[in-house]
Amino acid sequence: MADEYKGIKTFDQKEWVKENLSYKKDSGSWAWIFHRVTGLALIGYLFLHVYSLSTLTSGRTAFETKMQSFLSPPLLALEWFLFIIVLFHSLNGVRIVLVDWADGAKYHKTLYRFSWIIGIILFLLMGYIMFSHEILKFFGK
Amino acid sequence: MFKLQSTKNSGANSWVMQRISGIALVVLMIGHYILMHYHPDSGHTYDAVLGRMQYSWYRIIDLTFLSLGMYHGLNGIWGVFRDYQMKPWLKISVISALVIFGIAFTVWGYSIIFSIPYLKS
Repeated sequence: MADEYKGIKTFDQKEWVKENLSYKKDSGSWAWIFHRVTGLALIGYLFLHVYSLSTLTSGRTAFETKMQSFLSPPLLALEWFLFIIVLFHSLNGVRIVLVDWADGAKYHKTLYRFSWIIGIILFLLMGYIMFSHEILKFFGK
Repeated sequence: MFKLQSTKNSGANSWVMQRISGIALVVLMIGHYILMHYHPDSGHTYDAVLGRMQYSWYRIIDLTFLSLGMYHGLNGIWGVFRDYQMKPWLKISVISALVIFGIAFTVWGYSIIFSIPYLKS
């Protein structure tokens, strides 16, 4: 279909991965890629989240047995890493809204850098909050 | 080659809605994270859930959070699909699958929230 345009590079959908990787990427391109990947991960997690809370209908023991299994350190760590995905998607989402509605195209690269800084701070803070009981226990308090 | 499309189907509405629901989700998400992770018990014990669910306004917030999350997520998946050329049958199949999955899981989520009893009323 697009072959009618002579001299314009056409996009072959069968080689989209190769095609995408061949482009030069600035912060905005990375933001677009990460936003897409994290978004798909988050909707997948939302489905999982509804499923994992479905034991609430079976009463206290069923629910608490299931919840105890989520409190093991590896799964708690996974939950912490999930926060990276949530943080990136939220902060970049705010950046997108600012670009669209607040003339953000003029300062979107600064916003991108700021969102990483804010994200890393919030990630570490959440790590402290989530593991504070273990950390305090470690120092004997 | 190019078909004129009415503004109704241009995707402008879903674009605006994606931003509005996104902003709302950020606000709700902050509350959700503070509530669920400030203390390990608040997110992982039945009593904590039961306690919160005694307030109807909390249930309404939870239902809103779930509905908006589903809408934003499925609209997002559709946005990804729209970046590629699709045959009409594929378009219809994708939309149908998204709507069916979305409604099924939203109804499931609603039923979970409604199954939690009010202790005294």
